[in-house]
Amino acid sequence: MVEPGTQHSPAPTGQGFGRVLVAVYGLFALAATSRSAVQIATELYKAPLAYLLSAFAAIVYIVATVSLARGDMTSRRLATVAISIELVGVLIVGAASEWFPSVFQHPTVWTGFGSGYGFVPLLLPFVGLWWLRHTR
Amino acid sequence: MTGTYATVITVVALLLAGWALICAALNRRPTLCLFAAGVLLEALLLVFAVGGVVQMAGSDRQFARAEFVGYLLGCLAIPPLAFYWARGERSRSGMVVIALALLITPVMVLRVQQVWAGSVG
Repeated sequence: MVEPGTQHSPAPTGQGFGRVLVAVYGLFALAATSRSAVQIATELYKAPLAYLLSAFAAIVYIVATVSLARGDMTSRRLATVAISIELVGVLIVGAASEWFPSVFQHPTVWTGFGSGYGFVPLLLPFVGLWWLRHTR
Repeated sequence: MTGTYATVITVVALLLAGWALICAALNRRPTLCLFAAGVLLEALLLVFAVGGVVQMAGSDRQFARAEFVGYLLGCLAIPPLAFYWARGERSRSGMVVIALALLITPVMVLRVQQVWAGSVG
């Protein structure tokens, strides 16, 4: 119970189960960053949309990883925003890659709802938002 | 890339992953022994990465070189990051993080070999 008038301090987001969640987010931050760095450095002209999307996904994953690991009030808000963007991103890019496959011949992390990564990118934002709620 | 050496790394990483998973199941914290085994794996990966770059430099073949180096660096980065991030965790989650990293390592080694063979990228 939170007494009225007292400062409610939420549970840290980077400990316990959060330790594993941050590790998985970190892995995707690493994967998306390296993939987009290689793609943009070597063949941006081939599929600028897909590759810039990869870079965007990388930034979202980095912000989510760092803010979940830090876990203070500002970081929680930032994590909520980043993970919400991630959720919308994976749904829109996933759906768009089904409807307009010709535009998405070059894969991103979110193509096909993350099918190239065992659908973990689709699952991750739901788990992330649940965890933020759970530790509130 | 030399197949036997990559297989050795894969086996060592999987054995360590099994060890870490058992420790996680038994609710044990990371020990110095596990850390030392992690250092051994990292040493194997370092030789793998240096050998990979040397072999790449000596090859005229067309393959995704940037990706190849990227995966080699990824191999090297993941275990230390996992041990670092797991430190100070009081629940079994720290062990799960280490086990995850050790399970990812063979996948990364496999990707290195695939890129080397030219079937990816």
